[in-house]
Amino acid sequence: MKLNEINEPILRVEGVRKSFTSGDRKIEVLRDVAFAISAGESASIRGESGSGKSTLLNLFAGLDAPDAGRIELEGRTRIDAAARGRLIGIVFQSFYLIPELNAYENVLMAARVAGVLNAETRQRATELLRRVGLADRAHHVPAQLSGGERQRVAVARALINSPRLLLADEPTGNLDEKTGDGVIDVLLGLCDETKTALVLVTHNAAHASRCAQKFLLHEGVLSPAS
Amino acid sequence: MPWYLYLALKQLFPTGKRLTFFTAISVLGVAAGVWLLVVVTGVMGGFGHKYRGLIVDTQGDIQVRARGLSRQPAEVMKHLEAIPGVVATSPSAEGIVMLRVGNKPTFPGIQGVDIRRVENVIPLRRHIIAGSLDDLDDDTVILSRGLAASLGVWIGSNVEVISPATLEKWQRDEIMLPTELTVVGIFEIGHQQLDGSVAIVTLRRMQDLYDLGEAVHGYNVKLAPGEDVVEAAQRINATLPATSGLYASTWMEAHPGFLFALQMEKIMVTLMVSFVVLIAMFLVTALLLIAVVRKTREIGLLGALGASAWQTAAGFCLQGFIVGTLGTLAGLAAGFLTLANIDSIFRALGSITGSWEEMVAIYQFTQVPAHITAGEIAGIAGYAISMATLAGFIAAWRAAKLKPVEALRSE
Repeated sequence: MKLNEINEPILRVEGVRKSFTSGDRKIEVLRDVAFAISAGESASIRGESGSGKSTLLNLFAGLDAPDAGRIELEGRTRIDAAARGRLIGIVFQSFYLIPELNAYENVLMAARVAGVLNAETRQRATELLRRVGLADRAHHVPAQLSGGERQRVAVARALINSPRLLLADEPTGNLDEKTGDGVIDVLLGLCDETKTALVLVTHNAAHASRCAQKFLLHEGVLSPAS
Repeated sequence: MPWYLYLALKQLFPTGKRLTFFTAISVLGVAAGVWLLVVVTGVMGGFGHKYRGLIVDTQGDIQVRARGLSRQPAEVMKHLEAIPGVVATSPSAEGIVMLRVGNKPTFPGIQGVDIRRVENVIPLRRHIIAGSLDDLDDDTVILSRGLAASLGVWIGSNVEVISPATLEKWQRDEIMLPTELTVVGIFEIGHQQLDGSVAIVTLRRMQDLYDLGEAVHGYNVKLAPGEDVVEAAQRINATLPATSGLYASTWMEAHPGFLFALQMEKIMVTLMVSFVVLIAMFLVTALLLIAVVRKTREIGLLGALGASAWQTAAGFCLQGFIVGTLGTLAGLAAGFLTLANIDSIFRALGSITGSWEEMVAIYQFTQVPAHITAGEIAGIAGYAISMATLAGFIAAWRAAKLKPVEALRSE
C-alpha cells in the first residue's frame, strides 16, 4: 500500500437510496446515505429494528443494488461475486455455519469459494482459530459448539481471505452479554491487527461506542451519533 | 477439487458421520431401481441367449434345409465349405419313430448324425451326461435324459425302433423286424422338450430307418467366430442354385415366434421396471428440493462468500450425480449377485408358490438362465445416473434462482 493510499477510503458511499414495495405502498428504507471508511478504521451503525441497517450492509457487500447513488469499494462500483469473496468478510447474527463441516473446514470454506485455498490459508485458518480461542475445538462440528464459539468461528471465516472490509451484522444479537463482549473483543482486535476496515451494525450501545466512528440510522437517514 | 464438489461430498458424507439419512435413502432408492432393471434384463435376456445357445448347440449356427431330400450331400457340403465364413458342415436327417421297450412305446424325434463330422459343428459331447459319444455306431443309440427315464432304460439297455418305413413295409405285408439298438449314451441340454423326447443315431442308421439311400434332409453349418449369422445365411443362399431346393436359415428365422414373444416380454417388463427408477428419481428430487429449502440460508451464505449462482447449483447437481453413481454401483453389484444365483432363487420361489413346474412348461428350460450384455449394463447405468443428475438439476435450478440477499432473509 502506498503512503498516499493509507487514508483513501476503502468503501465510499454517496447519495444511496433504497426503497421496497409492499402492496401498493412504497417504503423508503434509505435516503441519501453517505458513508466512508478507510483501512484499519472501525465504524458502528445503530438503529431501531427495521430501520434498514441490514439493508445498508447488504448494499455495502454488493448483495443488493441501490435504487440511486454510488457505492465504491476500492474504487470499483461493480462488485461481482468473486471480488466480494476476496475483498469483503461478512459476519451474520445467525452465524450461518455449514453444519456438515467442522470449525476448521467452515473457516476454510470461504477460502475455497474465493479460490485461494493453499498451504498458507490452511495455516492461517489454524492461526485464526487459535486467535479466537478455538484451537482445541477446530475439529468440532457446529452442533458441538456453543453460540459464542460458533460466532467466533464465523469471525475467523470472515477474516480467512484477509479482506479489506469486514461487515458485521449484529454479531452479538444471539449471544449473552458476556459472550457478546468476547466476540466484539476478538472482532476489534483482529481488525485492528490486520488493518481491516470494520463496519459493525449493532443494537448494543456499549459495543457501538468501542468503534472509532459511530453512526445512527433513523428513518432512512444515516447520521453521526454523539 | 472445486469447492462445490467438495461441499456436495461433505453434504452427502458429513464430517464425523458415515451417511446422512438423505444419502442412505436416495442411494437405496436408485440401487433398488437399478437392481430390478439388471435382474429383469438379465433374466429376459437369458432366455433369448439360452435359446440361441440351445439351437446353435443342437443345429449349428445356420441350418440349410432341403425341400424334400438332398441327394448329393458330399457335393453340397463341398460347396458350402467353400463359402467364406463357413468352417464346417455336417449332414443330418430327422424324423419321428416309435421307440419301444417291452410293451411301452414312445414316439420321440430322432436325429441321424454323421459321427465323423458332427462334432465339428455341434458340441454334442458337452451334453452327454452318461455313456460316451465314441460308442455311437449303427447298432447303438443315444437318448435324451427324459426319454430314457420315461422308457425306464439306461446305458446297456436295448430299445426297439419302428420307423414309418417299417410300418409301410408291414402294410405291404413285408416281413421286417423292428430294429434293436443298444443305449450307449444319455444327454441333457437343459430344454424340457429336447431333453424329454429325442434320440440320436448315426446318419447311416437314420437313412436305413427312413429308406433315404444316400440322401439327407439338410445340413448344419458352423461359422467362423465373430461371423454375422444373418450375412452368412444371405451369402449361402446367394450361392445356392434355385433348383437345389436348399435354403439356409438362421436360428432367428427358424424360431421367430418364440423369440418375438421373448423380445416383447423383455421390452414390456423393462419399460415397467424403468418406472421404478423414475419413481426413485422423484424421491431424490423431493429430498434434494427439501435440502434446498432447508439450506436456503446456507445458499445465501455461499453467495455472500463469493459463490456464483451456477456454482451453488452445480453443488446440488453433483449431489444428484453422486447419489446416482453410488446407487447404480450398489444396484449393479446386487443385480449381478442375484443373477449369479438366479436359478436357486427361482427354484426356492417356485417351491414356495408351487409354480416351478408351470414355469418350466412355459419357458421349456429346466434352469433359469441369465445373460446381460455390456451394452445393456451401460444403458442401465447411463439411464439411472442421468436421471439422478436430472433430479439434482431440478433442485439446482431452484437453488440457482435464489438471490443471496433473499436467501439470507428467509425464515
